[in-house]
Amino acid sequence: MFVEFIQDALFAAIAAIGFSAISTPPRQAYLYCALIAAAGHSLRFLVMQNRYFSLHIVIATTLAALLIGVLAVILSSKSRVPPETFLYPSLLPMIPGIYAYKTFGGLVMCMYQSTEGAFNHFFYLFASNGLTCFFILLGMAVGATLPMFMMKKISFQATREK
Amino acid sequence: MTMTMMTESVCYPSTKDVCMFIAEYSFWLFSSGSTVIRLEKNVRRIAEAFGMKVDFSILPHHIHITVRDSGSLNSYTTVSEIKSGGISFNINTMLSRLSWDISDRKIGFDEAKERLGCIVRSTGSLDPWLLIALVSFANASFCRLFGGDIVAMGVVFISTAAGYLMKQILMERKVDFRLVVIICSFISSILASADGLFSLGCTPELALGTSVLYLVPGIPFINSFCDMLDKHYICAFVRMTDAVVVTACLSLGLLCSMMIMHKGMF
Repeated sequence: MFVEFIQDALFAAIAAIGFSAISTPPRQAYLYCALIAAAGHSLRFLVMQNRYFSLHIVIATTLAALLIGVLAVILSSKSRVPPETFLYPSLLPMIPGIYAYKTFGGLVMCMYQSTEGAFNHFFYLFASNGLTCFFILLGMAVGATLPMFMMKKISFQATREK
Repeated sequence: MTMTMMTESVCYPSTKDVCMFIAEYSFWLFSSGSTVIRLEKNVRRIAEAFGMKVDFSILPHHIHITVRDSGSLNSYTTVSEIKSGGISFNINTMLSRLSWDISDRKIGFDEAKERLGCIVRSTGSLDPWLLIALVSFANASFCRLFGGDIVAMGVVFISTAAGYLMKQILMERKVDFRLVVIICSFISSILASADGLFSLGCTPELALGTSVLYLVPGIPFINSFCDMLDKHYICAFVRMTDAVVVTACLSLGLLCSMMIMHKGMF
């Protein structure tokens, strides 16, 4: 369990560094993105796969996003960058990409079905993947932006020179 | 009285100048992936520093900006075009710093214009080969996070590198971004299906499924939800639609390769 937890944090950090590189952050942001993503993703892993309880992916993602949001706001004032610079790349490893394309896959498969039963099956896959994707994104956005709005002064004055 | 007016005329640029400056600033800040709330705060901060007020509305392809002086005697309106796709948190950070430096009166209008020009010219992007390596490692790590084995990670690394290289080539040639996503998704997933085709590893379905995830428009998705929570519904809808279209293109490329390789998505 401990090894899996560490592995999850490590791979989430690598994923955050790689995906953040696409959105051209300032150089000093890479390290922070890796640390924040590792903390967030490993929290999600912990609350979803432990021996005592298992939270639903939407709730687990919201909690992880909340932690990422708090860390991003705190570290943003330290490094004089807007919190979004850390926030968004750190959230990327949790983007429900597979649910997103399975939603479209289900929709396309619906069109190919000739029987009602088969159509209903693929429509169910379309709706279930689509709704999961939507609520994960909503949970992520609420969780991640809540700390920004609760600590507005820090969030929107992070880039101000003291 | 005359002295004050003269002083004011020296300190404050005209409404037209401020409006044109804010239009360019908004164009770059919004195009670099800023949320509407940040744009709103930064732009108001700049206008107030020059003793003016600003109102703006964001449309799908344009930002409509009106700047008026504090007595509302003079106003100037302009429409600035929005460029999509070039997300850069480096530019976002430097533009936010610029707004505070203007607000704290550390720099004047002319210097602010000069700095804006420098910021938009600075790319801050990594070497293209390094970028390909980082994205490929990231996607391979993604595969591991979903439970993929070492072979699947290797296959995802290679298929991502090939797909991302193709993306860079096509983007350089100004090919439509949606077409780029379809082609890259197709290439990456065709290559990733080698894991199952040659029975290389134990998790071929994960290699195939995660090989295209580098194309998922994560930041537009998060931005659209953030704008929605801030009640900027039109902007949220536009960003969401853009992200959904890109996801649909990604799925199309993936589905095409799955049909060719006789694989099912579910």
